[in-house]
Amino acid sequence: MDESEEVPKDFIKLKSEKLSVDEVSELVISPYCGAVSLFIGTTRNNFEGKKVIHLEYEAYTSMAETEIKKICRDVRQKWPSVQHIAVHHRLGLVPITEASVIIAVSSPHRAESLEAVRFCINTLKASVPIWKKEIYEDEYSWKENKECFWANSEK
Amino acid sequence: QVAVLYFARSAELAGLRAETLSVPRRLTSLQLWEEIVKLHPRLATIQDQVVFAVRQEYVLLGDQLLVLHPGDEVAIIPPISGG
Repeated sequence: MDESEEVPKDFIKLKSEKLSVDEVSELVISPYCGAVSLFIGTTRNNFEGKKVIHLEYEAYTSMAETEIKKICRDVRQKWPSVQHIAVHHRLGLVPITEASVIIAVSSPHRAESLEAVRFCINTLKASVPIWKKEIYEDEYSWKENKECFWANSEK
Repeated sequence: QVAVLYFARSAELAGLRAETLSVPRRLTSLQLWEEIVKLHPRLATIQDQVVFAVRQEYVLLGDQLLVLHPGDEVAIIPPISGG
């Protein structure tokens, strides 16, 4: 049996197919880790009284992957005991209640993975070039994250 | 010659997702924006909300001097909404 520690890995994927919680959790599971923390972002069926039919996501894919890699690097700097990180984000059409993003982090003890998952989703919302369009019955709307550092926050 | 990429609302207003543009090698980010708005005047409505990504690094619209190389990617980035 290899005595060296398992090499920490980042699993980043942007894809148009349905995301799988099982798949993402299994990517980060490790015999050295007692904790796997998970975040799942799902789509709500309403916004300000309007019925949301579905969501559509688009991305500047190459830069989005690079920005997510930077987030993983920052996670490892802040929480060195973190083992594996997985970030899967869906692109294209996402029906209501299906997941748009799944983030999983493993660490030996639970505090680090819980904090790392929170940091990942908060930073993703602030810096990764992905856009969401909400489709209502009669219209649509490009959403804007309040975390976005350059958006006009006086609106 | 740089490759300009349009996303989300900016792609809708410009009516396209990508094109090549001839610009001076050195110019401010605001000057670059003004060149793009000349081609696609409807983009002026989102001027307060966008940033650029030049070679995949974010750049605010303003006085920052850009040094561009042939084939560089410049993306128009409206407010993001991932996650």
